Amino acid sequence: MKALEVKDVMAGYVDEQMILQGVNFEVNMGEFIGIVGPNGSGKTTLLRALCGLLPVKHGFIKMNEENILNLEHNELAKKVALVPQLMEPVSGFTVREMVMLGRTPYMRRFSFEGDEDREVVKWALEEVKIEDLAEIPVNNLSGGEFQRVAIARALAQEPKILLLDEPISHLDIRYQVKILRLLRKLRKQRTIIATFHDLNMAARFCKRMILVHKGMLVAMGTPEEVLTAANIWKTYRVKAEVQKNIRNKNSRLVLLP
Amino acid sequence: MNKNQILIILCSVLLLLAVISVFLGPVMMSPGDLMESPIFLQIRLPRVLLSVLVGVLLAISGVMLQAILRNPLADPYILGVSAGAGVGASIALGTGMTLTLFGLSSTPILAFMGALLAVFVVYNLSKVAGRTSTETLILAGVAVSSFAAAILALIIITTGKLQSIYFWLLGSLSSASWSDVITVTPYMIFGLVIAYFYSKELNALLLGEDMAQTLGVDVEKLRILIITTATLVTAAAVSVSGLVGFVGLIIPHFVRMILGANHRYLVPFPPWPAQSFWW
Repeated sequence: MKALEVKDVMAGYVDEQMILQGVNFEVNMGEFIGIVGPNGSGKTTLLRALCGLLPVKHGFIKMNEENILNLEHNELAKKVALVPQLMEPVSGFTVREMVMLGRTPYMRRFSFEGDEDREVVKWALEEVKIEDLAEIPVNNLSGGEFQRVAIARALAQEPKILLLDEPISHLDIRYQVKILRLLRKLRKQRTIIATFHDLNMAARFCKRMILVHKGMLVAMGTPEEVLTAANIWKTYRVKAEVQKNIRNKNSRLVLLP
Repeated sequence: MNKNQILIILCSVLLLLAVISVFLGPVMMSPGDLMESPIFLQIRLPRVLLSVLVGVLLAISGVMLQAILRNPLADPYILGVSAGAGVGASIALGTGMTLTLFGLSSTPILAFMGALLAVFVVYNLSKVAGRTSTETLILAGVAVSSFAAAILALIIITTGKLQSIYFWLLGSLSSASWSDVITVTPYMIFGLVIAYFYSKELNALLLGEDMAQTLGVDVEKLRILIITTATLVTAAAVSVSGLVGFVGLIIPHFVRMILGANHRYLVPFPPWPAQSFWW
């Protein structure tokens, strides 16, 4: 059974202009997939379609054989969570309150958060290792710390699929590695799909990658299969070369002058 | 000092001010004469109660609109309530009509209807391709308010009732009566219940409209509901007190500073203690 099956998906912001022009792919449970592609290629649009923010005009998206396009907002929110590119800290909220917002689809009216909600929030804070920041106002956090709060908030939704839009773009290299290690650990028991601009970073942490260009899938497979000089030229229009590191057999992409 | 202590202090200040203001006035009273005095029962008591009610109505409306428009400068009048009510009231005052309905005279009734009409126009103006956005709502609110201000000026000039109309626009509780108190109480209960009922959605909206939607909130539906509620609540306040300014803008912020931004606390508590503000 596929954790996620995307078939012939077409979607766009205006009716006449489809940004995603027939996207097909399948993802297994426990995978950490990296989506790469130039600016404006449809990476973010794809994530928005997957979490129901953008109506899908054609095709279907199935999770465990269930078409999620017909689900109620609230039911979808229990299955798919999104960490957006830039999340604003809610001023006046502590880290715990911010993470508690992820429990919205589970909370009942007139009732304050229940024991189960508190348990899940505690678990989410521990998963991303920020339990000691719980009572700190979110405004006081650094970018790297706040990114972990954003991930914890999404985890509090208990999603089967976790989507992240450029989770490491605005972080220093120390936090980039920290966040990617965290995601690699979190992929167990769920599926993670994230977009990246740093191709080498994505290649090091994702077992499988998707290369998107003009709303279509150009390549899908292992980083070695996807990040070839030909593919990079076709999509980014940049001359690059794949160099093998003799010591650890990692390959990396190097720009040619 | 923790939040509960601050709340208790503010509630006590409210109570103290209420008690003091019952005694103050052109006719000073001792506690002994209170119960027999018609000044106390028919004038001062309803006035004090109405001031609390109006403050609660405006504060609750401010909280809801600041959340739904995601704008800290939003106040209860931002979507045209004040302008519409002003035109309605000035028609009543300018023509000197003397119709009464359910114990209310024509001024509050027309003010109420004018407020609802203005927001109805604003909401429909702001729709682009069947959806509203915070930007179009605020812009439509400004546009309709300017238009209504022009109509208001025309009414003032043609009827010559500048003084009475201007006095109403400034906002006043001087003519508060028991029937006013009874009329606005259901609106206050309605507003508090709705705002509390939807507090989890209002909280989710703090993350932005897209994020609220990924948390299962139907943003467009919520917007219609909250705007309708806030409009009814504000219109009720305005119809009995005129255009009392500032309260609906500042109290939500004041309470946020003390209690934080969580609507579960922001909605039920704030209005009460913060009420002491506008004496």
